[in-house]
Amino acid sequence: MRDLIVLGGSSHPALTKMICKNLTIEQGQVLSKKFSNGETSIEVKGSVREKDVFIIQSGCGNVNDNFIELLIMIAACKTASARRVTAVLPLFPYSRQPDIPHMASVTGAPSISTKKDQYTYESRPGTPKPLSSFNGPRDPSLTRPDSSGLITPLLRGRDLKDPFREITPRDSLVPVGTPVDARGKTESGYKQWIAQNGTLIANLLTTAGADRMITMDLHDPQFQGFFNIPVDNLYLKPLLKHYLIDYVPNYQECVIVSPDSGGAKRATSLADALGCSFALIHKERRIKTTEGVKAIGPLGVTSGLSAVNHHPSPGTHTTVSMLVGDVKDRTCVLIDDLVDTSYTITRAAKLLKDQGAKYVYALVTHGVFSGDAINRVSKSAIDKVITTNSVPQNDNLAGLGDKLEVLDVSRVFAESIRRIHNGESVSMLFDHGW
Amino acid sequence: MPSSQNSIKLISGNSHPKLAEQVSKKLGIELAKVGAFQYTNKETAVAVGESVRDEDVYILQTGCGETSINDFLMELLITINTCKIASARRITAVIPNFPYARQDKKDKSRAPITAKLIANLLQTAGCNHVITMDLHASQIQGFFRVPVDNLYAEPSVLRYIKENYSLNDLIIVSPDAGGAKRVASIADKFDVNFALIHKERQKANEVSRMVLVGDVADKVCLLIDDMADTCGTLCKAADVLLDNGAKKVVAIITHGIFSSNAIEKLNNSKLDKIVCTNSMPLEDKLARCPRLETIDISATLAEAIRRLHNGESVSYLFNNAPE
Repeated sequence: MRDLIVLGGSSHPALTKMICKNLTIEQGQVLSKKFSNGETSIEVKGSVREKDVFIIQSGCGNVNDNFIELLIMIAACKTASARRVTAVLPLFPYSRQPDIPHMASVTGAPSISTKKDQYTYESRPGTPKPLSSFNGPRDPSLTRPDSSGLITPLLRGRDLKDPFREITPRDSLVPVGTPVDARGKTESGYKQWIAQNGTLIANLLTTAGADRMITMDLHDPQFQGFFNIPVDNLYLKPLLKHYLIDYVPNYQECVIVSPDSGGAKRATSLADALGCSFALIHKERRIKTTEGVKAIGPLGVTSGLSAVNHHPSPGTHTTVSMLVGDVKDRTCVLIDDLVDTSYTITRAAKLLKDQGAKYVYALVTHGVFSGDAINRVSKSAIDKVITTNSVPQNDNLAGLGDKLEVLDVSRVFAESIRRIHNGESVSMLFDHGW
Repeated sequence: MPSSQNSIKLISGNSHPKLAEQVSKKLGIELAKVGAFQYTNKETAVAVGESVRDEDVYILQTGCGETSINDFLMELLITINTCKIASARRITAVIPNFPYARQDKKDKSRAPITAKLIANLLQTAGCNHVITMDLHASQIQGFFRVPVDNLYAEPSVLRYIKENYSLNDLIIVSPDAGGAKRVASIADKFDVNFALIHKERQKANEVSRMVLVGDVADKVCLLIDDMADTCGTLCKAADVLLDNGAKKVVAIITHGIFSSNAIEKLNNSKLDKIVCTNSMPLEDKLARCPRLETIDISATLAEAIRRLHNGESVSYLFNNAPE
C-alpha cells in the first residue's frame, strides 16, 4: 500500500510482525535501544516524510518503559514530518486502575515473592484492604508482614543492607501517611485515595503528537471521551462468538457469566448474540458485617453466597460474592475484558463450581496475568482460559499449557489499519470480526 | 490571588527519597503524605494521604536509575497530574538531574528531540514551574512554556574548592570544549588559569583522541563538568593531564550518573578524587568507590523552594550557596 508505514515498539514484536504479514507489507525499521544511563533512544531508519505511520505498542511488560518508548517514537515520527501518526495500543495501559490497590505483600495479595504452591483457588484472600499497610515514613518500626507471614523490614528507597541488589521501584515503596482505619481514613480524618490516570495518559499521547488511536476492548467505553483525537475501539466480541460456536459443545445451553457487575453489559451483549442465558456475580465489600453469612443481598435473587473474611484482626472487612442466576449442571462462560491479578475471575469460577457448574470457561480479551496469576489460574476452578495475543502470551502458555487458548487479533488490527489508511469505514469490524 | 496564606507541600518521588528528606529538614517541614507505588502489572499509581487543596506543591524527582528512569518519569507525571486533580494551587517539579537532557537536538535524521518531549509531557501533566540544576544545555529552558529555574551547583563547588584546595598551584580544566564557559567562570572567580581538552568524538559515549590546550605542568588539576556518565572522558582526560606533567587530578561533577561499569573505571583510573553533588542517589556507589565524595546541594534546593514560595528572587542562589 502506498505511503503506509507500520512501526513496532519493543513490547510485542511478534504481533507487529503478524500485522505486517496480514497487510503484506514490510515492517518499518526502528532502532530502539537504551543508553547506558537507562534513557530510551529511538532512531527511525527509513524516511517517514508525508507518510501514514502506525506504531504498534501494547501496554504490557514494563508498562512505563514501553509507554515512554511509544511517546518518543511518536515524537520522532512527527519531527520527521510524518503526515499522520496513529498509535495502535492493543492493550491500553492505565485503562483500568483498581481504586483499592492490590498492595504487594500486605494481605498476601498479589505478591511476586509469594511461594508458588501456596495458592489455591480455595480461600486465598482476594481483595486486599485499602492502604492500611502504609506506615509513617519515619516510623522506626517500618515493618510489613509479607505473605508468608514473616515480618520483613521496609526501607525507603533502597535496601541499604544489600545496596548492590538491583533496585526496582516495586521495592521502593514510599510509605504513605499514617496507618488508616478500615474506612481508609487517616487520623486526621482524610480519606486516602488513588488517582486515576486515564486522562493523563490520553493527554500525554496527544502531546507527543498522536493523531489517531486504535485499541481493543477498552475497560471503560467512556475512555474514548478523554481523547481529543479519534479513537477506534475494536471489539473482540465477534471473534469470541465464533470461538464459542465452533468449539463449545451445545453452546446454546451454556450460561454467560459476568464476574462483576461492571461487566454485565459486555456479558449480556454476548449472551444476546448467541441466544444463551446469562448470570451475574455481584461483589460487595462491606465494613463490619456480622459473623458468618447472614442474609446479605436481595432476598429471592440470591442463589449463591460466599463470604470470606479477609482480615480477621483490625476492622472487619468482608467481601461477599453473590451469584444471580442459575448455573447448576451448566457450562459457564465467564467473560471479562482484562485479567490481571486474576482474583476476580478465579473467585468467580470457584463460586460457579460451588453452585454446581459443570465446566467453566474464562474468556478474556487481555490476559496480563501479573504477579503469580498464572499459578493461581492453573490451580483454580477454571477449566479453560481463552485470551488473545494483544499482549505476549508465550510465557503464559508455558505456564498454563492446554488450559490456555490464544486467539489471534492481528487480523482484526491489520484490517482496521488497512481500512483507516484507505479511509474506509471501520464499523463493519465491530459486528463481523475478521 | 486568594487571600489565604498557603503552605509548602513537599512530595518525594521514589527516585531519591534521601534528598527529599534532607530538603524537608532544611525547610523544617514534614514530607507530604503522597506517594507512588506500582501494581503487579507494573503500572504506577499515586496514593494521596492528605489534602493538597490550594497548597503550593513541590515534587522532588530526579532522573536516575538504569532500569527505572522511565518508571520515575511516569511517576513524576502521574504525581503532578494527581496534585492537579487534587486542586493544588501551584505545582512545581523539582528535578535536580533533568532526564533526557542530552537528547536536546536533532543530531541525525529522524532522531527525536526527547528533551522537548519531556518538557511538553511535564506541562501536559499540569506542571506550573520547574526547578532544575545545571541543565546540560541551558537552552532546554526554552522548551518550556512555564518558568524554569535553572540552579547552579557552582557556588557549592566554589566553596568546596576553597575549603579543600590551596589556590597557588591550582588549574581548572574542562574535559570538553562545551564546558569551557563553565570552567572559565570558576577560574575567573579564583583568579587562576584554566585549560581545555579537546576531544574528537566518533560515536556517542565513546571518545577517540584528546588534545590538551594549556599548561598543566606541576599543577593540581580540577576537571569540572556538568555530568559524568560512563566516565570514559574523565578517565582519559586524567591520563592526558598526568602525561602532561600534572601533579594530581581531581574531578568535580554536578550529576554523577556513573552508569554501567563507571565505578570500576574510576577505581582503575588515575584520578585522585571524584567529587559530585548528591543530585542523584549515590549510596551504593560511595560504598564501592572510596575515592568518591559528595557535595550536599539540598540547602540550595530548599532555599530555592523557600524563595519561590515567598515570591522572592532566586538569583541570589546563582552566586551564593546557603549553608
